[in-house]
Amino acid sequence: MSPAIETAGLRKSFGEHVAIEGLDLTVERGDVFGLLGPNGAGKTTTIRMLTTLLAPDSGTARVCGFDVSAQPSEVRRRIGYVMQRVAYRGLLTGRECVEIEAALYHLPRREIPLLAKAALDAVGMLPHADRRWTTYSGGMQKRLDLACGLLHSPEVLVLDEPSLGLDVQSRHNVWEFVGDRRLGGATILLATNYLDEADRLCNKVAIIDNGRVVVQGSPSELKRAVGADVVEVATREPERLRQVIETERWVKKIVAGDMGDLHIFVEDAAVALPAVMRIGLEHGIGLERVSYSQPSLDDVFLLHTGRELREAGVAS
Amino acid sequence: MTIEQLDARKSARADSADSAGGARRRYAQEVLALARRWWIELLRERLNLVFSLAQPAIWLVFFGAGVERAIDTEVIGTDDYIGFMLAGIVTFTIVGNGVSGAMPLLWDKETGYLDRLMSMPIARSSVIVSRFVFQVVQQSAQILLVVSVALVLGVRIATGPLGLLVILLTAALLTMSVTAAFSALAYAVPQHGTFFAVAGFVSLPLLFMSNAFVPLGAMPAWMEVVARLNPLTYAIEAMRTLVLDGWEPRVAASLAVLALAGVVCLALGTWQFRKQTGERVRG
Ligand SMILES: Nc1ncnc2c1ncn2[C@@H]1O[C@H](COP(=O)(O)OP(=O)(O)OP(=O)(O)O)[C@@H](O)[C@H]1O
Ligand SMILES: [Mg+2]
Repeated sequence: MSPAIETAGLRKSFGEHVAIEGLDLTVERGDVFGLLGPNGAGKTTTIRMLTTLLAPDSGTARVCGFDVSAQPSEVRRRIGYVMQRVAYRGLLTGRECVEIEAALYHLPRREIPLLAKAALDAVGMLPHADRRWTTYSGGMQKRLDLACGLLHSPEVLVLDEPSLGLDVQSRHNVWEFVGDRRLGGATILLATNYLDEADRLCNKVAIIDNGRVVVQGSPSELKRAVGADVVEVATREPERLRQVIETERWVKKIVAGDMGDLHIFVEDAAVALPAVMRIGLEHGIGLERVSYSQPSLDDVFLLHTGRELREAGVAS
Repeated sequence: MTIEQLDARKSARADSADSAGGARRRYAQEVLALARRWWIELLRERLNLVFSLAQPAIWLVFFGAGVERAIDTEVIGTDDYIGFMLAGIVTFTIVGNGVSGAMPLLWDKETGYLDRLMSMPIARSSVIVSRFVFQVVQQSAQILLVVSVALVLGVRIATGPLGLLVILLTAALLTMSVTAAFSALAYAVPQHGTFFAVAGFVSLPLLFMSNAFVPLGAMPAWMEVVARLNPLTYAIEAMRTLVLDGWEPRVAASLAVLALAGVVCLALGTWQFRKQTGERVRG
C-alpha cells in the first residue's frame, strides 16, 4: 500500500517570500506524524497543499497515492481536515453543522443522524448538540470541528494545532481523541507548537523551520541523537563560562538559551554536573542555578537550529 | 453507535459511491445540504426574513401611491402604472437579492469556512448553485407577495395564472445571471469592503440603464443601445408583456436571451470561483 502522505521537493512561495522549500516527507499508514515548528515555519502552508487548498509551485505531494494536483477529489475523499482557525458556523446548532457536513461527504441519507450523533459523542459534544454554534465556548467550537473532521472516517486525519487555545481538560480530551483514532488505524498528521503534545502523541515528528525540514524521526530517536543529557546553567557571565568549559572533553555542544542561560549537551550529566560547578568555582564565575534534564524535543530543536522553539517564531 | 462501528460502515459506503447515477445523486445531495444551511440561517434571522419578504410589496405601494401622479401615461404606453412598474420592482428585488445573497459567500471566505468546504469532495460549482436554488425559492415567495399586493391594487395579469408561472421562471433565469455575477465578484475581491463598493456602484446604474422606468421606445438612441446590452431589460420586457399585453413572441425571445446570459454568467462565476480557491484541476 502507498504511504499515507508522500512529498518530494515540495515548494511554495508567496511573492518574494519562500514559505516552503524542498520539503520531503513520508508518513506511513497508521503513523501519528507531528509537524513541529515555530510560528511561521510553514506547517499550515504544508497542510494546505496536502489538503488541495493551495497549489504547490513545484515538487509533488501524494495522499494515499493520489497526487494533490492531478487528482484532488480523490485526495479530498480520503482526508479529514481540522483547520487551525475555528470555522465560523453562524446560527446553526452543532448537530445541524455536523449533519450538513455529513451530507457534503455524501454519507447515506438514512445513516446521517446516527453518524452525526456518534461523531458528536466522540468529542463529548452530544449534550450541547442542539445549542447554537454561536453560544459555544472556544473549546467547544474546536471540538465540533474535530467531530466534523472524523465524520466520514477519513483514512488520513489532518489536524492543524488541534489543542490551540484549549484548557488543560480539553487538551487531554483532544489527546484522548487522537489516541482513539490511532487505535482505530487512522493516519494522523498533526501540526503543533507544543513539544509535549508532539512527544506524547506522535510516533514520528518532523521539525520544520523556515520552510525546511530540519530533522525528522521518532521523538525518542531524535532525543537520543541529542546526546545523553542536557545541563542547564543560569549565570551572569554565560560567555565566560562558555569559553572555559568549551574545550572540556565531555561537552558535546553549548547553546545559549533565551534567558541568558546555557544549555550544555553532555554525554553523562552525573560527570558533567560536578565538573561544571568545579570549573565555575575555579574561575570565579557565579552560578545561580544548575540543573539537568533528559533531552526534550525543545533541546532537539535547539540543537538543530540554535534557537529555542518558544523564541523562534519572533525571529526569522 | 461507537467510533468502531462508524469505521465499519465506511467500506460499505465506498462500494456504493462509484455507481453510474451516483455522481448526479451526490451533486444533488451537496446542493441540498448547502441550501439547507442557507435556509436555517435565514429562518433564524427573523427580521431579515420579514424585511426581505415584504420589501418589494412595500415599494410597489409607495410607487403606486406617489409616483403615479407624476407619470405621463403617453410615454409608458398604458394607463396601468402599477402594472407597468411591477416588472421593474421584481427585477430590482432580484438585483438586491443578488447583492445581499453574496454576503454569506463573503463571510465564508473571510471566516475560513470556505476552506473547510473546499477540502471536502464536493463539486466546485455546488456552492454557487446552492445559493441560486436558495435565492429562487426565497424570491418566488417575494414575487408572489408583491403580485398579490398588485392584484389588490387593481392590476390584472393579462396572461393569468400561467403567466404568473412564466414570470417566476423569468425571474429565476435572471437570478442565475445576477447570483453568478455577484458571487464571482465576492470571490474576486480581496475584502468585503471592495465588494460593497463595487456592488453599490453597479446596482443603481444597472436599473436606470434598463427599461424599468422608461420603455425602450421612449429612450434616447444611445441609452437604448446600452439598455439592450443589459439582461435586466429582457427580464422586464418579458414580465411586463406578460402582465400588460399577453402572450407575445417577444416573451420567448427575451427568455432565450436571459437563459444565454445566465449560462455565460454561471460559467464566469464558476471559473472565478475555481481561480480564487486555488483550484488548478477539475474537482
Ligand atoms: N496567503 C499568504 N500570503 C502570504 N504569505 C503567507 C500566506 N500564507 C502564509 N504565508 C507566510 O508563509 C509562512 C508560513 O506560514 P504558515 O501559516 O505555514 O506558518 P505555520 O507554521 O503554520 O505557523 P503558526 O504556528 O503560526 O500557525 C509565514 O511566513 C507566512 O507569513
Ligand atoms: Mg499554522
